[in-house]
Amino acid sequence: MNKGTLLSGLFSRTTVVFLFLIVLLLLGGSFYTYFQDRKLQSVSLSTIRMASWNLAQLGNEASAFDRELSLSANGVGDPDELTLRYDVLWSRYDYLLNGAESRATRDHEDNEQRLENLFSDLRALEGPILAGIENGSDSLASVSEQWNRQKTGIQQLVIDNFVGDEASRLVTAVEESRDRLANLRILTLAALVAVFLYLALAIAFVRRQSKEDPVTGLPNSQYLHSIRGVAPDKAIITCEIRGFQLVLSDFGTEGGNDLLRVFASKLKKELQAGDELIQASQSGFVMFLAVRPSEDIEAITERLVEATTFDWRTGDSVLHVSAVMGVDPQCKDNCPGWSIRYQRAHRALTQARLEGRDYYINREDLRRRIEEDRLVHTGLIRFFNNEPGTLHLSLVYQPIVSSENINLVTGAEVLLRCRDERVGFVPPNRVVDLCERYGLGVELGRWLFRQIARETQTLYRNLGFDGNLSINLNPSMLADHLVQDVQSLLIDAGIPATALCMEITEDNAALEFQRINQLIGSLHDLGVTFALDDFGTGHSSLEYVRELKVDRLKIDRCFVNGIEESEDKARFLGSVIAMADQAYMKSVIEGVENKAQWQLIESIGGVLIQGYYAHKPMPLNDYLALLLDSGTCYPSVQTRSLASASY
Amino acid sequence: MRRLPLIFMLIMFVFSAQAIAAPKLTITSDADTLVLDRNELESFPQTTFSTISPYFDGEVQFSGPTLARVLETFGVSGETQITLTALNDYKVTGSLEELLSLDAIIATRRDSRTMSVRDRGPFWIILPLSQRPELDEEDFHRYMVWQLSGIELK
Repeated sequence: MNKGTLLSGLFSRTTVVFLFLIVLLLLGGSFYTYFQDRKLQSVSLSTIRMASWNLAQLGNEASAFDRELSLSANGVGDPDELTLRYDVLWSRYDYLLNGAESRATRDHEDNEQRLENLFSDLRALEGPILAGIENGSDSLASVSEQWNRQKTGIQQLVIDNFVGDEASRLVTAVEESRDRLANLRILTLAALVAVFLYLALAIAFVRRQSKEDPVTGLPNSQYLHSIRGVAPDKAIITCEIRGFQLVLSDFGTEGGNDLLRVFASKLKKELQAGDELIQASQSGFVMFLAVRPSEDIEAITERLVEATTFDWRTGDSVLHVSAVMGVDPQCKDNCPGWSIRYQRAHRALTQARLEGRDYYINREDLRRRIEEDRLVHTGLIRFFNNEPGTLHLSLVYQPIVSSENINLVTGAEVLLRCRDERVGFVPPNRVVDLCERYGLGVELGRWLFRQIARETQTLYRNLGFDGNLSINLNPSMLADHLVQDVQSLLIDAGIPATALCMEITEDNAALEFQRINQLIGSLHDLGVTFALDDFGTGHSSLEYVRELKVDRLKIDRCFVNGIEESEDKARFLGSVIAMADQAYMKSVIEGVENKAQWQLIESIGGVLIQGYYAHKPMPLNDYLALLLDSGTCYPSVQTRSLASASY
Repeated sequence: MRRLPLIFMLIMFVFSAQAIAAPKLTITSDADTLVLDRNELESFPQTTFSTISPYFDGEVQFSGPTLARVLETFGVSGETQITLTALNDYKVTGSLEELLSLDAIIATRRDSRTMSVRDRGPFWIILPLSQRPELDEEDFHRYMVWQLSGIELK
């Protein structure tokens, strides 16, 4: 029988009823003793003394009369004295039978009747005594005989009351009461001990219960709070089930509990002796794992991630379950307190969740990264609020040229540049991620639109430039307000709608094809075109190509890398371009970096090229200079009108 | 002849009065002895009151001279102890000063009637318990000696 069942046995109905009965029994015993002793108390000491005294006096007075009577019977008595003793005895009877003080004595058992009888016997002597006094001692002798019978009665009465049954009964009762009290005391003590033990066990049980999760049976957050320290050679790993709230909403509490049990058992299997697993929240776990010298923490974490990535089958549905983890590795020296380490592990988890990674290990690089994120975040807020700060956003333009003519600049992709005086150069995707994470996405998008309009309106208004302007949309911008933003911030500011190409990535589109296509449709109506960016890097590229109504496909540099060395790769790129053609999409090849690549793509033909070989990203002034260069040609309002004129 | 029974009864009364002599009260000290009968006690100024008692239900009227007055007549000279004796030789001893402070009377009559020995007379120390309820305690009840036959001062 283990401790758990012993403890729960303590709370069975039988035990509680049993204890209740014991207490009830004790209470009953106490009341019984109380009432018994109250009876004893009513026999007050003074009453006993009074009764004893009266009876003793009766005995004395009877003796005095007896003495006088026998003296008189022998002819030597004094008649006055005899009658006096007779009267005194008489008064005693009268007192015993009628006195208020004597009530207790008289009421005891059949005393009253006996006294009445004795008194009437005494009264019966009056005549003979008076006659005896008249006639002399002889007749008094017969009185003596009568009296002797009474005397025995009086003695018996005195004996019965004085040292007889009542006194012994009283003593017995007192002794019984004393024994009862002693037994009661022992019983009470025993019951107290039992109840105390029960309470102690109950408290232990409740404390234990309160530190245990009812679903998984793991120690819970209560236990976590009670932890004073964790050995430095143990890593602290926090772990969270991804999208557990969705599981709850889809499968209910029961389903959620099932998953928790399965998940906890998978984690448990990875533990070794001495390791601890705690359920810190509904879907969050904490582990203290000993790291052996032969292992490294990455391997352990990878193993945990692998163990907790599984397909969970419930009923006829299958759910892909995975976890995100944060690790504070074992430390050698300068180990901070446990709560700081726990906080670090938690921060690593938060960071991993934010960045969509499986785990993060709290090390210098993560700390630096978090610190940088913090700096960039505050920098962005200040920047968007036009407050003085260390962070600045700027735009660069990477020209896109035609594969037929490297000098024909068909447009440019606007790229974001971010520099912070403390952090240095911040990659644009990190800026976008941070903005999305902290709710600055729309602000970033609108700033981008305004800045683009401000910088390029001269280009379109004064130079008559008609080339494309490809703008990367961050996820927050892919919403209903996009149409209004494009209209008011770009088109109204002087950028022709036909020059605008909105680039979306597969990540942004996030499978909501219908909604995205509605947006695309609305902007198509204005004349704005769309491009699918980074084609080839995602998971379901072809589905996106099929579903999204985009006009251009931007083929990722991964399809270009190595084409100059591998004919297969070159052919593959060719077929991707052909596929785009088939889908009525213009291809833009990214990452063309050398002449060999250029020539290969040139030989395919019919595409646009964006890459270092043609042009690196450049500031607006350089871009303007490039366009104004005599060797450069570009689509302009004039050329278009010329072109139309030539038809 | 008609008067005969009356005379007879009168004779009988005188005879019996002589034959069964009523007990008297003897007051003694080292120096003096004083014997008082009822008539003598009733020649003192009389005090009458009704009081409850441990002996009768409700209030009963007693009358007689105060103990203090009787002892004053007897003459107290430096005695501090008093012993009350009853016909059955029951004795109570106490402080004279205390007993004198209790307003005790030597009752000779109960409800205006003289008390026989059978009625626990002829003399009975009675304390005014109704008038001084603080005296209604066992400690004082013991002084209420009936069939009082002797007072001894020491």
